[in-house]
Amino acid sequence: MPGPFPGKAVRVHSEKSVDTATHKIDDRAVREMLSRGMCSLTGAKKERDAWAHFFDAGDVVGIKVNCSGAPKIFSAREVVGGIVDNLIALGIPARNIYLYERFPDQLASVHYGRHLPAGVNIFAAETTRGSMANYDPNTYVETNFFGEEDTRSNMIRLVTDRFTKIINVPNMKDHAAAGVTGCLKNIAYGDFSNVARSHNREKTNTLSFIGTLAMVEPLRSRTVLQIMDGLCGVWHGGPFSENPDFRFYPKTIVFGTDPVAIDRLLLDVIENKRKAEGALSIWDRSMASVKQGVLEKHFNSFIREPGHIEYASRLGLGVYDLKQIAVTEIEV
Amino acid sequence: MTLLLAALLPALATGSADPDAVKLPVPKVEYRTNEASASRSPWMDANGWQILRASTRRYYYDVPAGSAALAAAEAFTYAAQAGVHTDASGAVNFDRMLRFLRVIPEHGDLPTLANIGVIDDGSPETGELMNLLSRRNLLYRIVTAPDPGLDMNIRLGSKEYPKSEARNPSQLAQKIRAELTDEKRLLRVYGSEVVIARLVGASGRVRIHLLNYANRPVTGLRVRVLGNYPSWQVAAYEHPDLKLVDFRTADGATEFTLPEMSTYAVIDLSSAPASR
Repeated sequence: MPGPFPGKAVRVHSEKSVDTATHKIDDRAVREMLSRGMCSLTGAKKERDAWAHFFDAGDVVGIKVNCSGAPKIFSAREVVGGIVDNLIALGIPARNIYLYERFPDQLASVHYGRHLPAGVNIFAAETTRGSMANYDPNTYVETNFFGEEDTRSNMIRLVTDRFTKIINVPNMKDHAAAGVTGCLKNIAYGDFSNVARSHNREKTNTLSFIGTLAMVEPLRSRTVLQIMDGLCGVWHGGPFSENPDFRFYPKTIVFGTDPVAIDRLLLDVIENKRKAEGALSIWDRSMASVKQGVLEKHFNSFIREPGHIEYASRLGLGVYDLKQIAVTEIEV
Repeated sequence: MTLLLAALLPALATGSADPDAVKLPVPKVEYRTNEASASRSPWMDANGWQILRASTRRYYYDVPAGSAALAAAEAFTYAAQAGVHTDASGAVNFDRMLRFLRVIPEHGDLPTLANIGVIDDGSPETGELMNLLSRRNLLYRIVTAPDPGLDMNIRLGSKEYPKSEARNPSQLAQKIRAELTDEKRLLRVYGSEVVIARLVGASGRVRIHLLNYANRPVTGLRVRVLGNYPSWQVAAYEHPDLKLVDFRTADGATEFTLPEMSTYAVIDLSSAPASR
């Protein structure tokens, strides 16, 4: 990260991609969105060539899905299925493709397996909550936020030992602590253990911790592609989606290699939607607005830290300045 | 040798308890999620500090079946003269633990290894401080006067540690930790908030006792000990074939992972070259 296309994002919108009444996703529309988006990002004429820009048959690919809001919101099965089919078309065996997340209950609730070719691995790191067995003991970030005894956050061992490439597939979501959760939050907090310790009462250390985690090798260099699933999104109460009133349908998928650029666009998507709904700004840091345990659009659970995206840009993870970000808009 | 070990083993008490023995709380974790507390860590009832404070006393536990094995292991870890009173199924658990304790290699009377000296005035405040130091695996030993061989010495009521600070023992323990610094700590435990360690050793060998106070196993527990100890032996209750994994000596420390532990494990490390 930020990969071969810093400061570049391709937004593909399709009105027919989701039936908002039934929440049903149109698989064909999604496939077309994937094809157009990948070709536009890479400049390839053929879809296969676009994927071959990043992957070859010898790769072992991890697909970092987002299931933190499952079963209400998650990286869509249709998007993930389309990605897997394109990888297999390049000659990557199914056994060398992994969907992965940290928590098995969330991952299992999506039933990805029913929508994927046989042999694709579906892996959750924490077989029991807090278990360290599937994390790499030698690759970690050590810091003490609030006096917690366990000061390490370890990287998932598959990332260090097995994957050669990673595709990051976040959702478009508000996040009570981080402000929004997009590419950076999904790849950072989703690949390390013991990260909830960064929040305590109204305070959260997401401002610096997200970027710090995302730049740890080999996660940083192996994450070669960002595909943000914005078919459905959450504009308040994220990363969960307990209240359906806070869901919305951007019907968009965003492609790029630069997580900062894509997340910079996400800030405006969430902020604009919140403004339209009369919710607090994601930039509101007033303690008067903080009320924990209340899922209400006029209150925050934490002092939000949407500045984590700009912070990550200063670590070299991508381009934050909107004037420097080239956005290609495609309508399908 | 066998007799010495047997003398350290807790006994299953039948009939009425020894009238001179001090009753200890049931060792356990309480997840008090609905109560405000000074930290987010789960509440633990652990008795090591109390036993160390009066090591010549006799103790007894009155425990439900599920806590009998832990009570026996706790008493063994701190070399307490203790009896355990429990029901019939607790006796089965106790016997199982006793069989395990009997096969732990004899190590003689190795001294406690610690960073911190606590000058114990016998007050409840100092007791609670020791409890919280234990709880955070901040290794201490009780001293009668400051020991210059330790990294720091604490006397509650001194200018550095006024009694008023003991009103928030959790915060005081954090202050001590910050002053000591994590880098100097002889032992760290990663991956669990409910495992308490005791470290003893001398002359190039150390023994680590690990007690899991929760009623479920801990997986992937990572332990760091200051010092280079390339040789190891492990004995883990209910896991007879357990091996340490990701063993590493680097930067003046030894680290390893226990893939799984139930109630109790003992790890012996030695600076002798590894033979495995």
